[in-house]
Amino acid sequence: MTAIKNILGNFKRYSFLMKQLIVRDFKVKYKRSVLGVLWSILQPILMMTVMAIVFSQMFKFKVEGTNFLVYLMTGIIMFNYFSEASNLAMSSVVVNFSLINKVYIPKYIFPFAKCLFVGINFLLTLIPWLGIIVLSYFGLGQYTCHINIWYLLLPYVFICLFLFTLGIGLITACISVFLRDMFYIYGIILIIWNYMTPVFYSIEILPESLQTIFKLNPLYLYLTGARSIVLASARPSFTQMGMMLAYGVGTLIIGLLLFKKKQDKFIYYV
Amino acid sequence: MIKVDNVSMKFNLGMEAGSFKETFIALFDKKRRVSKQKNEFWALKNVSFEVKKGEVIGIIGSNGAGKSTLLKVISGVMKPTKGTVQTHGVISPMIELGAGFDPELTARENIYLNGAILGYSKKFLDEKFDEIVEFSELIDFLDVPIKNFSSGMIAKLAFSIATVVNPEILIVDEILSVGDIKFQDKSKNKMMSMINGGTTVLYVSHSLSTVKELCNRVIWIEHGEVVKIGKAKTVCDEYYKKQLG
Repeated sequence: MTAIKNILGNFKRYSFLMKQLIVRDFKVKYKRSVLGVLWSILQPILMMTVMAIVFSQMFKFKVEGTNFLVYLMTGIIMFNYFSEASNLAMSSVVVNFSLINKVYIPKYIFPFAKCLFVGINFLLTLIPWLGIIVLSYFGLGQYTCHINIWYLLLPYVFICLFLFTLGIGLITACISVFLRDMFYIYGIILIIWNYMTPVFYSIEILPESLQTIFKLNPLYLYLTGARSIVLASARPSFTQMGMMLAYGVGTLIIGLLLFKKKQDKFIYYV
Repeated sequence: MIKVDNVSMKFNLGMEAGSFKETFIALFDKKRRVSKQKNEFWALKNVSFEVKKGEVIGIIGSNGAGKSTLLKVISGVMKPTKGTVQTHGVISPMIELGAGFDPELTARENIYLNGAILGYSKKFLDEKFDEIVEFSELIDFLDVPIKNFSSGMIAKLAFSIATVVNPEILIVDEILSVGDIKFQDKSKNKMMSMINGGTTVLYVSHSLSTVKELCNRVIWIEHGEVVKIGKAKTVCDEYYKKQLG
């Protein structure tokens, strides 16, 4: 009981610092750019346009019976959130070494702040994403995606994705302190992970046996969950929803335990 | 107030990961393996002392004697390898000024960022903002990114943020020599007023005259071990003799 109280007290005490770190990230990111924060919306729009042209016009990708554009975009924004947030979280501890070495700060704050920072960016990309969905009513991409009641479940999916990402971020941050090679290794892992997640293809094009393996990928679960809501107006099954939470919370717990166990040793390695 | 009990601190000098070749050879060739013990370095060895509330303690010793490590252990940045440290009360560590300043941000933004790092609340910073600015003498440069500041200006800003609180324990690592003469005088007065206000102070310095002036007691550390603890004047004189005599 006192442990929980301690954690919450700690959280409250350092929430201002967390906010400051996130604000700092935003300010530094858009320093000296004319359009500033507008880029957070503009950049995904441009990226989506390029991807849409490449995959639907050049490669002629499609998924039967669904609006491929929305299918693709949903996958891209969710996978990009995961890859960018976990990547930044991984380097956050090493990058902030000069701070850790001088002032006592709970170190989990750095990966956490990064995941939140990218999370806010993710929420901004939802605006152009919703724009595409609305445009599908007017004939964009052949099939119309109907906005439906299950949209209320999207925050649940996103929160589970956030927990999973934070967990991975804590684990990679921890490893990268002891093994700097991790920066390069994880870059490769992310590329492999990207291709193993059905972001721009449908899992049905794969052979049966491979499908079973690919379906174990937590990101597949999150992407499929969001897609079934948006594209098929269907609620993910309770098993799926339970698994989303289990993957998220489970990874987070592993991350936290590992981080907690190793954090006092960080100072000797950074 | 502060109780340091038998604290030892070990560093591994060979922490740098060996190259792939070295690691690979060491797997098979035992002789080539650098012995673990050879790489161990004890920055602190069985250090024990107690500090009472309101005391001003000076810490002296040559470079690399373990002074800063001791301060880091007390302020919680490092966990001691052996032994325990107990502290009661809010600690304000001024081990290095301006930790976490972001050069891209303006002075105004950095006050909030650095304040948050030092554990101040938003409300507190809002209240004390003017006081910090006034003390730092940088009112005309508030909205300038601090990458354009001189090092003296950055130090002034950092000192002003760090000393705006009234901590119960103040840990100071050689910072009174910040800024120009006028500011040095001002910062010394600020320290004095904190000391007179009952703050417990741990003060590391190479300036023996300041140590003698400010401190009640002095701890002399050499090679990670306590050589002597005692009255400021006695220990300082003995240290001076040993170093130069």
